[in-house]
Amino acid sequence: MHILLVEDDAVLADGLARTLQAQGMRVEVARDGLQADTLLQRAPPLVAVLDIGLPGIDGFEVVRRLRARGDATPVLLLTARDAVEDRVRGLETGADDYLVKPFATPELVARIRALARRNAPKSTILALGNIVLDSGARRARVGERPLELSVREWAVLEYLLQHAGRVVSKQQIVDAIAPWGEDLTLNAVEVYVSRLRLKLDGAGVSLRTIRGFGYLLEAGA
Amino acid sequence: MNSIRLRLLKWLVGPILVFNLGAAALTYLLAWTPAQLAFDDGLRAAAGALAARVRAEGLGLLDAGRAPDDSAGEASWAALHDADGRLLAGSAALPYLSTLRGSGLRDAELHGEPVRIASAALEWQGERATISIARTVRARQQVRSAIVRSLVLLEGVFSLALVGLAWFSVGNGLAPLARLRARLDARGSADLAPLDDSQMPRELAPVVGAFNALLGRIEAGARAQDEFRANVAHQLRTPLAGLKLQLEWLAARHASDPDSARSLALMLQANERLIRQTNQLLSLERAEPNRFARSRLLPVDLAELVAESIQHFVEQAAAKDIDLGFELEAAPLQGDRFMLRDLVDNLVDNALRYTPAGGRVTVACGASPGGGSFLRVEDNGPGIPANLRSQVFERFVRLDQQSTGSGLGLAIVRDIANLHGADLSLGEPEGSSGAVFRIEFP
Repeated sequence: MHILLVEDDAVLADGLARTLQAQGMRVEVARDGLQADTLLQRAPPLVAVLDIGLPGIDGFEVVRRLRARGDATPVLLLTARDAVEDRVRGLETGADDYLVKPFATPELVARIRALARRNAPKSTILALGNIVLDSGARRARVGERPLELSVREWAVLEYLLQHAGRVVSKQQIVDAIAPWGEDLTLNAVEVYVSRLRLKLDGAGVSLRTIRGFGYLLEAGA
Repeated sequence: MNSIRLRLLKWLVGPILVFNLGAAALTYLLAWTPAQLAFDDGLRAAAGALAARVRAEGLGLLDAGRAPDDSAGEASWAALHDADGRLLAGSAALPYLSTLRGSGLRDAELHGEPVRIASAALEWQGERATISIARTVRARQQVRSAIVRSLVLLEGVFSLALVGLAWFSVGNGLAPLARLRARLDARGSADLAPLDDSQMPRELAPVVGAFNALLGRIEAGARAQDEFRANVAHQLRTPLAGLKLQLEWLAARHASDPDSARSLALMLQANERLIRQTNQLLSLERAEPNRFARSRLLPVDLAELVAESIQHFVEQAAAKDIDLGFELEAAPLQGDRFMLRDLVDNLVDNALRYTPAGGRVTVACGASPGGGSFLRVEDNGPGIPANLRSQVFERFVRLDQQSTGSGLGLAIVRDIANLHGADLSLGEPEGSSGAVFRIEFP
């Protein structure tokens, strides 16, 4: 997973690079806007993480030039300013998402992964902890143990894996897995999740219930 | 008192009254003098007629001391003196009045009543004599008081009308000032927008202009101060973010060494506090009333706002093993999305911070039965004693000195609730300990 990180603050750039590398990402670092512009043209990354306040040309301008070239590389803007104008301008300029510094590391990773999935050639394999879900072969396993899942259970787990590290609401799950107005209640989602919880025992993940809202699937027991 | 109205009235009403008084005096003179002359003529004629009768009928006529057949309603006396002033006949009370000097008319008092005396020369037994007639002035006084009464009435009505007119005109002339004041009064405490001077009278325009210039300077000063604070806070964010990542990296590497892990955990905590306080400074600044623009209020749904912040809450709750739950129903309102998120953040953070590990926090929102929307954050922590509840919304008030709060969170909540015209109340859950913060949006 190739990530371009553009951040002029040396301490933050170094910390970000190491954190993302620890997540298995290949990180290339640029220190200013012009360098970022060059790198984006030469070797388009899967996701670009851009600080707004850059020397040379700022993050907005980098995104503007990127989009002007018709390049759809997903961009996550980092901003130290949370002024309304900045946010709106950021997304209007063509960035896909933004995070206000300082951010929670899991959230940053989750957002980068979400953007990467959008850009990546449709990978058929999702993995977290010991779970491997291969939607191409329609096979799932926990470690070496095959996982028997109903169609609905599969859909729920697939959605949770796609959003690993992020809190998802029951409504989001319903909307994602029953998109054609099929009759699927929030209670039914609860049932699927409780069945999944049993089946995922020993999978090296935690599936936490957020009372009254939804779920959070994370690596780590 | 220094009042324009009083000063104007003083300079209008004072001269009006003086002028009216002068006019009244003149009118009095003009009315009274001819009447006086007519009365005097009558009295002189009576003296002449009496002289003729005395010559014809003798001194017996004056024996009673009274003037015969004189005017009705008046008392009169008569006397005849010789050239040396000796009384020849008539009333001894009458003073001698020489006809040789003056008009032959004078005022006197006789038997306790004011009288007017007239005299006429007379040839008596070859000697020069003077006949005097004294008549009470009752009719004159009646005429005079009639004149005075009419004048007082007329001038009184006149003066009142003029003073009333002056009062009205002054009030009318000062009305733009009153309107200006009303407009200033109606402003929000932090509204520094210039006054509209298009409708101002020419005399007030310079004042309004100077006032607007002053407002402009104040606003520029306030903005510079805000920007400075925001700049400082923003400048801190990047190094704080870097520090956080570096510490996390280090903590992950040294997880197996308890001493290092403990120290790193404390550093991370301190870093989180710095981050939080920096964010709170920015929230406070955002909630400054003079930065608040009602026009920026847009329809938002509290349920969506809470959902947007949920990730952060869940991580914070997990760290303390708090059961964090939600009861989110659609809660539409007109608000500033960023401020409301600050409000939700601070309220939930407060609950998570003061609820002991293993506790329970519930965030609820929805439509209120009476219209409007509500947000409720309920915990089963120690709660807040009723007598301290009014204090917790003040800045830098911390009820628990051991806690790591900044004492700003609930002040931010209060400021933002106020800006949205919302009601903020603090109570306790039914039948258990804890605190319930409830905000009712209109």
